[in-house]
Amino acid sequence: MNNTFDAIIIGGGIVGTGAGYYLSKKGLNVLLIEKNYLTSGSTGRCITGIRQQFSTPPSIKTAMESVRLFKNMEDEFGFSVEWKDSGYLFLAHTEELASMFKKNIEIQRSVGLDVEFISAEECKKRVPLLDTEALIGGAWCESDGQADPFFVVKGFSSGIVKNHGTIKTRTQVVDIIVEDNKVKGVKTDSGDTYYSRVVINAAGPWAKEVGKMAGVKIDVEPERHEALITEGVEYMGIPMLVDYRPDGGYFVQRVTGQFIGCFTPEKQIPGTSTDSTLEFLKEMSRRMCRLVPALENVSILRQWAGSYCMTPDGNPLVGETEVSGFYVCTGMSGHGFMLGPAITSFLSNYITEGTWPFDLDEILYGRTFGQKESMK
Amino acid sequence: MTEKTDKSDIIVCRCEDVSLQEIEDLIDQGITDPEELKRFLRIGMGPCQGRTCGKLVTRIIAQKTGRPVNEIKSTTKRPPLVSIRMNELFEDDNE
Repeated sequence: MNNTFDAIIIGGGIVGTGAGYYLSKKGLNVLLIEKNYLTSGSTGRCITGIRQQFSTPPSIKTAMESVRLFKNMEDEFGFSVEWKDSGYLFLAHTEELASMFKKNIEIQRSVGLDVEFISAEECKKRVPLLDTEALIGGAWCESDGQADPFFVVKGFSSGIVKNHGTIKTRTQVVDIIVEDNKVKGVKTDSGDTYYSRVVINAAGPWAKEVGKMAGVKIDVEPERHEALITEGVEYMGIPMLVDYRPDGGYFVQRVTGQFIGCFTPEKQIPGTSTDSTLEFLKEMSRRMCRLVPALENVSILRQWAGSYCMTPDGNPLVGETEVSGFYVCTGMSGHGFMLGPAITSFLSNYITEGTWPFDLDEILYGRTFGQKESMK
Repeated sequence: MTEKTDKSDIIVCRCEDVSLQEIEDLIDQGITDPEELKRFLRIGMGPCQGRTCGKLVTRIIAQKTGRPVNEIKSTTKRPPLVSIRMNELFEDDNE
């Protein structure tokens, strides 16, 4: 077997398979290596939301490009990825939050996103099952949506294979070969060595460890977030509801009927642990039923946890590192599934053509970490 | 099962309506990991959480790939053990 590739990608989530797909589409011979199974890291543990409501023009434009790509996936892959423009409703229970949303809406509109601040009455009209007690209003974007992360990764990964690429799962990269400050290839736990002048670190929560193998410091820290999913009930088009109260959370009705959701823990839980807790199960149920009381009679099927891969400023970390040919694409800070398609297509263009589509300084590797993303 | 039974008519996962044909098609495409079959087909992700289809999928993989059953890992089991209504979780707290 030929052991030399045009690009080697470490990680089989949305970022790894996306990068592999877009590069293989350009004719590159790619090898993707995943230590567990496809989607086993953060991607398969996300709650499926895709939004464009961010607070800076580059992140909004990136998310808008992602939505465009998600919409095209059914045609591109030949099967549905369950994309649905079910919308995102960010709820404001304080005046302070309402004015923050309104400020962001101005920025979002300036780059062409159709989004508006709606009153509590209008929120109720859009989501009749919503309890609007103490609600001032909400930021509503109806072109935000959802898709199935497993189907998207299936589309990307089968695309890689169709484009003559190779995927090795249950295989772990244990070392990265660097000579004269240039990347040369990787070694795996099965004792094999693969060579390439391009290696992409798409290892999400494990990106820091993968970076170390090449002597590169990747400034990301994983954090545990828990999630749950209910049985499927009749689809009522309940959009992603984002409740910013200290005991809030976010959940959406999947187009297939289930409710899926999570909340940000009050105290960060660092590390890659994916333990789940009974406390979360009870607390999340309470929070969901407070917003949508009708959920009381819906049954929970499953709970799990996954890692948010956080950067100091909450923006992704993308680009070529100080080791020539060694790229990083990680630090998605909870937005990997939604931003993944656009960011990996941008990165593929950068690797082959050397240009970004617009000013992306705020996500590039090597930046100084500054202002935090306010639509967390 | 008669010889003429169409594999599309043999439902392996009732909750998510997955047929034997769909499973075999993915295995033929090289997807033989139970965790990936589960996610790409939604097998075992419905109300019964794979109580019936989990074992069947293991056997189908074994038959199609020739790998012994004991080498085929079952998928991760996740809580709760049985599905539970949200208001039952509240009632627990009131007891």
